[in-house]
Amino acid sequence: MAYTIQLIVEGFATGSIYGALALAIVLVNRSTGLINFAQGSMGVLATFVAFGLVQLGAPLLLAMLVAFVFAFVFGAGVERFVVRRFEGGDPDTAVVVTIGLFVLIAGIAALIWGYEPRQFPSLFPPQSIEILGVFISLRSVGTIVVLVAVMALLQVLFRFTKLGLAMRAVADNPQSASLSGLPVSRLLMVGWGLAAVLGALAGILVAPQLFISPTMLDFALVYALAAAILGGLDSPLGAVVAAWFIGIVENLAGAYIDFIGDDLKIAVPFIFMLVILIARPQGLFGRKVTVRI
Amino acid sequence: MKNLLARPIVRLLLAVVIAVVIIVAPISSSSFINYQLSLIAVFAVALLGLNIVMGYTGQVSLGQSAFLGLGAYIAAYGVRQEWPVVVIFLLCCIIPAAVGLLVALAAARLRGLALAMVTIALPIIGVPLAKRFPDFTGGSVGSTVSWLEAPEGSGLADDQFRYYLVVAIAVVLFILGRNLVRGRIGRAFAIVKSNEAVALSMGISPYRYKVLAFTIASLFGGASGFLYIAVVQYTSPETLSFATSINLVAAMVIGGSASILGTVLGAIYFVMLPVVAGQIDSSRTALISGAALLLVLFLLPGGLVSLPRRIAQLVRGGRGGSPRSRAAADRPPTGDTAPRTTAAPEAEKQPR
Repeated sequence: MAYTIQLIVEGFATGSIYGALALAIVLVNRSTGLINFAQGSMGVLATFVAFGLVQLGAPLLLAMLVAFVFAFVFGAGVERFVVRRFEGGDPDTAVVVTIGLFVLIAGIAALIWGYEPRQFPSLFPPQSIEILGVFISLRSVGTIVVLVAVMALLQVLFRFTKLGLAMRAVADNPQSASLSGLPVSRLLMVGWGLAAVLGALAGILVAPQLFISPTMLDFALVYALAAAILGGLDSPLGAVVAAWFIGIVENLAGAYIDFIGDDLKIAVPFIFMLVILIARPQGLFGRKVTVRI
Repeated sequence: MKNLLARPIVRLLLAVVIAVVIIVAPISSSSFINYQLSLIAVFAVALLGLNIVMGYTGQVSLGQSAFLGLGAYIAAYGVRQEWPVVVIFLLCCIIPAAVGLLVALAAARLRGLALAMVTIALPIIGVPLAKRFPDFTGGSVGSTVSWLEAPEGSGLADDQFRYYLVVAIAVVLFILGRNLVRGRIGRAFAIVKSNEAVALSMGISPYRYKVLAFTIASLFGGASGFLYIAVVQYTSPETLSFATSINLVAAMVIGGSASILGTVLGAIYFVMLPVVAGQIDSSRTALISGAALLLVLFLLPGGLVSLPRRIAQLVRGGRGGSPRSRAAADRPPTGDTAPRTTAAPEAEKQPR
């Protein structure tokens, strides 16, 4: 039983990392209506910036803050100079654009830092704590706490600030927002910048475990996409709940179902995704949309 | 130039010249070049399948490598079991097509991005699955076969024989594919791509045609897997990896979406990129590939195949047009006309 609980908590923590990335995907999708396949590699690039600073002797927290700033500027820049040309056009072309970005940014990271995985310092102490006979690592607890805090912050941003209200208006209807005097293009840049910060956060949280390399977040991105689609692409809460669900179910299935094991556990979220999408194409928490012709 | 190309006699001559070059090329080339040329034919078939579902029907598929890999595994298994070549080839077409049909029956209910996600799952689940059945696949080591040696007395080296076989099959598949997309089914694909509601009102079921397009794409993927084993004689989980799928999508767009000639150009790009990048620095393949893809999307939305038309456009624009009208021509054709740009965001928003 203790082992099961441990597995669940660990799944929760892994799910939190997927959740951060899934939130980024939802944020981008809500503001620009695109799926950003480059979200993971953008996060990796920012993590590498933090890595470079740590190597130069900067404290981890400072390096992390610089990485966040870098990610924000980089994300906003990508929106402004690359993605904007393809917004409102053919959505398939836009998907291919982000795939191109994904390949290109991973290539840039590899060019500077190479492909071999390297160690990255952890934000949390390596100890475990014992609660009622269950050992839980501080890293897991820390990751979960960080994600919950981020979600709360995003809620506050979107519910109680002018910026959040403006971003919601742009997501809802760019034309009306523009007519009522909102700087739509700048708000889109902010949306992409915030999403990139979330990606950087996911990268920094996961790097101590996976070791940092240009392809570090590829699998996490796939899980995050699955979570975003499961939860409904327009629902931040749905995406995070789905990410937790995926993390836990995957961990349990990998441990308890012999055929699945450690290597095939990646199939689990996809099977769930397929079943749920066929029953509810808009996702678990998504709004159903009707198409006007 | 254009008028000249439009004349049937010129086209016929051009086709004859190309055919002669294709036939003569392997005789005077080294076995390395023959190998590369054969690989171009192999991936051209995979790209043709991808182009049918993505370029012509407008459904993003990120899973083409799974069918390529499946076809390759079936071929390798068949060779080890010493089945007749024709049987192997047919199985390489039928089984991936059946798998593709099953996936499509579920996935074609979904729209754009969800479909992309379901197809992403194919290579990602396929790789551990392939490692799980080592008896069939050879596990992570992969499986090597040795077959299709040049028949005695033909006077051909093995690489030349394989080249002719692979190119012949590829040409036949290309003729079939071309007839498909130019015919009734191809027109149905085009209307499903441009507007599903209109398709429905014309009595064309978008669902059925999406399933059909996906199944045909899987069939071509499986066939190219057979050709892959014929040329490379080896396959491993690497063949069906997600990276292969991404590179195939990139190559398709770079060559030219919804274009037969563009498919061939894409295959040339796909095969040549690692060779060329390997001479500079193989760790920069990803960098070059990503940059090439974005450059094409920015400058040549129609892919390499639209290069002559684009140059002609620029030359004309350079003489007559103001810089502004040239900037307008730069934009992808979808966003060009005013009513489209105002209507587009709303139309794009609703299906989400």
